[in-house]
Amino acid sequence: MAEVEETLKRIQAHKGVIGTIVVNAEGIPIRTTLDNSTTVQYAGLLHQLTMKARSTVRDIDPQNDLTFLRIRSKKHEIMVAPDKEYLLIVIQNPCE
Amino acid sequence: WRCCEVQSHSSRDAGMQTDQSEETIQNLNLQKEAPVDYAGLLSFLQGVEDVVIKELNKNWRSHAFDGYEVNWVDQNETVFCLHSLSCPEAQDQKLQVTSISWNATGSVVACSYGRLDDGDWSTEKSYVCTWNLDRRGLNPKRPDLVVDVPSSVMCLAFHPSQPSLIVGGLYSGEVLIWDTSRIEDPLIWRTGMTDDTHTDPVYQVDWLQDSKHSHHFQILSVSTDGKILVWRTQRDGQLTLVEGFALVAQQIPWSMKLKKRTRGETAVGVTSLSFSCFDPSVFIIGVEGGYSLKCSTAVETAAVPRTGSSVPLKAPAEFAFSPHGGPVYCVSCSPFHRNLFLSGGTDGHVHLHSMLQAQPLISLQLSKKYLFSVRWSPVRPLVFAAATGEGEVQLFDFGKSSQKPAVSVKQASAQTAVYCIEFNFKQPQLLAAGDASGMLKIWQLSSDFIQQGPREMNHLEQLANEVTD
Repeated sequence: MAEVEETLKRIQAHKGVIGTIVVNAEGIPIRTTLDNSTTVQYAGLLHQLTMKARSTVRDIDPQNDLTFLRIRSKKHEIMVAPDKEYLLIVIQNPCE
Repeated sequence: WRCCEVQSHSSRDAGMQTDQSEETIQNLNLQKEAPVDYAGLLSFLQGVEDVVIKELNKNWRSHAFDGYEVNWVDQNETVFCLHSLSCPEAQDQKLQVTSISWNATGSVVACSYGRLDDGDWSTEKSYVCTWNLDRRGLNPKRPDLVVDVPSSVMCLAFHPSQPSLIVGGLYSGEVLIWDTSRIEDPLIWRTGMTDDTHTDPVYQVDWLQDSKHSHHFQILSVSTDGKILVWRTQRDGQLTLVEGFALVAQQIPWSMKLKKRTRGETAVGVTSLSFSCFDPSVFIIGVEGGYSLKCSTAVETAAVPRTGSSVPLKAPAEFAFSPHGGPVYCVSCSPFHRNLFLSGGTDGHVHLHSMLQAQPLISLQLSKKYLFSVRWSPVRPLVFAAATGEGEVQLFDFGKSSQKPAVSVKQASAQTAVYCIEFNFKQPQLLAAGDASGMLKIWQLSSDFIQQGPREMNHLEQLANEVTD
């Protein structure tokens, strides 16, 4: 368990990282560095978006699969690393 | 109230990373119901960690998106006048627009009429008018509602959540509240002329949150008699005094560096007030003496006693800022930074102040005549608007130039002052401006004034950090 926390801390400590969330296969957040309501919002919306992105990739080419999702907005970049059981969501403010 | 309706945001200074390993990783309550397979979670994280960190580092160093902007909405290049509103009765009497307020839904604009320039005003009656801009049959020369008022109305404020309640402060010192949904007799509360009533014109009114008695409202009124009074509505239509503050010359907390001003018990005439958008007990006031003061509602010090008040008045001033070259008519606290505020006055200058020091951070001359109103933009942290004595509405962008306005809009002739401006918080592309010719103009702003730029908050933080004291 401590190793899980250490890994998340390392990610959270990177330059510009605003928040880190781990979501399970049902879209439920299980670890977060943000407040409850923001976390629930990010988890729900990004879980759905990741599923849609994955089905888009596989519809175009069934031999292909989603490996990483990045959303660039005016204010931040949201990164999603997906997996069968979990999603890791990292929000970064990439301003110099 | 005007600044507290801005949507909440979180801001972090990404350039200065303190030790974030101290930030706790929360276990959400949900997790108790769904047992977590730690082995599986660890193996997932170990698998993705390198990839994620590599991407985070690449992002930090990347210039790929520098200057890249996407337009999701139609770009509107210019500022243009959407409506020119006027009231025939007020035009006949050659009254001026003294104050503007947008209602809680952002669809109704109200203005008050009176006089701000010449001396003869005591018996002249005036008007409060409203227009619903979203209504189809909008007639710019015929307001939806015209309320007759026995004295010049100097200031107005719509209730922050109840779209039909509006409070006004009069030249006579009275405070009145109207319900614009009552056609027959909209006046529902008044202070009347009692011993507690202001003895000078009321220049600003605001609604206060009354958490203890949610079915009553509290109103704050500011006057050049030196008093800031808080009233509560009673069932009989009366506004009664619940608490108040008085500004007296000898209780002004001058720092060592500033010259001593007039001493003694003279009242300090208050012309304007702005609450901090971050701390509801902190407010800034502008005074006739030409300076602004940081005040708190949480003070205990009694004001030097003066006769006539049913409730003991307190001395609210905690810090004095360095003066303008003339009376200050307007102050505005930033909705985006807790320490920043603007002040403007008859010397035609706007000062950008940090509450942490007496000297302004920036001093700009926007007009050779008076500045009557300054307002921060509700959506662009670096932008403010100013109303000048030369008939112009100026929009200033600290991100573009620190010397001259980004846009200068001609509302009226150079001899006709613009007295008041208000942004519409619900529709931030709209800016209302009222002038000495009695015209209320609704300006539609260009797209660059409506959306926050990508590094704007950082820039604002930098400005605020230039404190030298």
